Amino acid sequence: MTGGLVRKALAAGILAGAAGLGGTILWSGWERFWINWIVWFLFLLTVGLGCLFIVALEHVVGAKWSVPLRRVPERLSGLVLLVSPAMVPALASLPVLYSWARPEGLTDPVVAAKAGWLNVPFFAARAAGCILLWFIAHRILVRGSIRQDADRDARFNMRARRFAPVFMVIFGVTITLVAFDWISSLAPAWYSDVFGIYVFAGTFLAGLAATTLGVLYLTARQRLPGVRADHLYNLGGFLFAFTVFWSYIGFAQYMLMWYANLPEEVFWYRDRLEGSWGVLLLVLAAVHFLVPFFVLIPRAAKGDPRKLLWVAGLMLLAHWLDLYWMIFPAIGRGPLLGWPELSFALFFVCTALAWIGRAMRVGADMPVGDPFLREGLEFRL
Amino acid sequence: MNERVFSVLGIFDGAQQLVDAVPVVKTRVSGRLEAYTPYPVHGIEDLLGLRKSPVAGMVLVMGVIGALAALAFELWASGIDYPIVTAGKPVLSWEAFVPIMFEVMVLFACFTAGLGMLLLLNRLPMFRHPMLRSRAMALITRDKFALAVESEGAPLDVDAVAAALRAAGARMVEVVELPEPAGPASPRFFARFAGAVAVACLIAGTLVYWGVKLFPVTVPVVHMLDQPRLDAQRASLWFRDGFGMRMPAAGTVARGHMPYRVERAEDAALLVNPLPRSAAVLRRGRSLYATYCSVCHGILGDGVPTLTAAYGARPANLVSPQITGYPDGLLYHAVAAGKNAMPSYAADLTEDERWAVIHYVRALQRALNARDSDLPQEVAK
Repeated sequence: MTGGLVRKALAAGILAGAAGLGGTILWSGWERFWINWIVWFLFLLTVGLGCLFIVALEHVVGAKWSVPLRRVPERLSGLVLLVSPAMVPALASLPVLYSWARPEGLTDPVVAAKAGWLNVPFFAARAAGCILLWFIAHRILVRGSIRQDADRDARFNMRARRFAPVFMVIFGVTITLVAFDWISSLAPAWYSDVFGIYVFAGTFLAGLAATTLGVLYLTARQRLPGVRADHLYNLGGFLFAFTVFWSYIGFAQYMLMWYANLPEEVFWYRDRLEGSWGVLLLVLAAVHFLVPFFVLIPRAAKGDPRKLLWVAGLMLLAHWLDLYWMIFPAIGRGPLLGWPELSFALFFVCTALAWIGRAMRVGADMPVGDPFLREGLEFRL
Repeated sequence: MNERVFSVLGIFDGAQQLVDAVPVVKTRVSGRLEAYTPYPVHGIEDLLGLRKSPVAGMVLVMGVIGALAALAFELWASGIDYPIVTAGKPVLSWEAFVPIMFEVMVLFACFTAGLGMLLLLNRLPMFRHPMLRSRAMALITRDKFALAVESEGAPLDVDAVAAALRAAGARMVEVVELPEPAGPASPRFFARFAGAVAVACLIAGTLVYWGVKLFPVTVPVVHMLDQPRLDAQRASLWFRDGFGMRMPAAGTVARGHMPYRVERAEDAALLVNPLPRSAAVLRRGRSLYATYCSVCHGILGDGVPTLTAAYGARPANLVSPQITGYPDGLLYHAVAAGKNAMPSYAADLTEDERWAVIHYVRALQRALNARDSDLPQEVAK
């Protein structure tokens, strides 16, 4: 009954959002459309990639505690398959948003020197390579795990353990490519060695937050019997630790550029600190670091479902804000939040929720075929 | 009732038996419960009703104190004690303070967690703990589990407690007594302790000294001696002109100083001494005069130098009527720009120091050409 209602609301949201998308093209122009598109597909893509990373991380380190929860990031990592094709139409945004893809953009000698890397065919080839690698990784790690529900074949664990370290390398390279190609090259003269790690930190946090929300959703419906506060505590601990990691990397990047004060580096921060963007950065520091950090400090808070629920929700919002703060200043205007942004939010969030609602029924709720499931359920702090 | 009883131990075969026994014992006897187990038993701390460890709060408070202490030190060091401009940044730049605040916070927090837990909370080392003399200790460190009812100041009813422990399933019961109170350490003990420390230092020092001398396997620590720098009287191989230091850019002005730009003595005559004729200024002028001027002009300013006649030039008599009649600006010009054989002292004396010397020279002129009317009234009579 309520399920039907939710489905209808989501369908209405998708339709209204799609209408808003069309309206954006008609009345606000392609630039506003594509910049929103990039923010939103990267948001969902990084959530999915973060989940895929969490799955691989478990196989790499041989973690047992997370086995009962693993189906949640496995299901959510399907977002990568859903969203990464959005890169293909986004190639049309290159001449609109990316100055290096326009002939006059190459008049800057610094950008012209990067033309060997920043050109449309190579850019498209890199995007295609990333998508291909993600599909393969998803097939091996996630499809294999779901197949194990039925055949209970422990050889999957061996395969996953062999492949997961390889995926770590693939992930490191592809997430850096995503960061450099889609975000950093909006300001093609700018460069930052640590930028890939910064985006990775946000990605991992987004994946963790989505996984936490998924686990809380299932435990609230008693679909994860045996999962207890000890498991939640570990998710909370991860969230806690990686808020610090994110801010550590973010601050390190800022401090070095602030110190050196080189014009070819520091302009990126100037564009993102002047006017309302500076206020937005303070808000970002608060919601991405200060609030979750201080809320999650007490031991009891890390295993408390109510606190985790809103901290994880806040974390996803903060991740969106992080992307918005990095990407939107590229079109050289103050922070924009009008009906185009809202309709993009409506369209992408409703699409993602509708898709996740289906994904949450893929396979069993726990990896019932995994030989380590029992050990994982017996996990105590 | 035995006043010398520390606790009554019940020995159990397994963790589960111990956990089951706790509520049974709790209902039958009052007294502090404590468990001794070969490995951590999950949930036992809640069952026993142990108070929450204050270590987390201690770490938080000390971490905050560490961060604030680092901040206060940095504000003092770079803002008050030695304000030095780095890379054109403001002296008080919070960005530069963050890494040190972070590290000191971590340092304080770690030491508080480790040492606070060991020394403050657990009061280690505790060589005379009554449990160490119990027979059960050997069993507990192997495979047995003990539940202890401890006397909290009030004497224990040993028989009732033993009965309660047996009823709860204890296999054995042991009464642990308090050790004899230790007397104060004798002077003989202190003498032997000091002797042992002295001997240990002597042996260790001798061994290290001869070991390093005979077997110089490690490179001596040379610190700043070994660095790429230009020694005196050597030509730079790096710069084409052979100089190690670069000339400052044209027009460079030292911080806090303005270069002396007056070229003609007539223009300099218009300068006015900005310093007050105070005792402090005159004392400063005397000291500087003695250092820089008296060698040639004589300690009285009368042009009788301490130099030998071989010097040749005849320094000016500063107390002569001619020079007494000069305006301050002319004297200043001579100091700043030099005159005849006298070189410029602009590199040795700052603006204020030069003016202080002028004041002192005026005092010398007055003192050596004193009139009766200059004497105080009482002395004149």
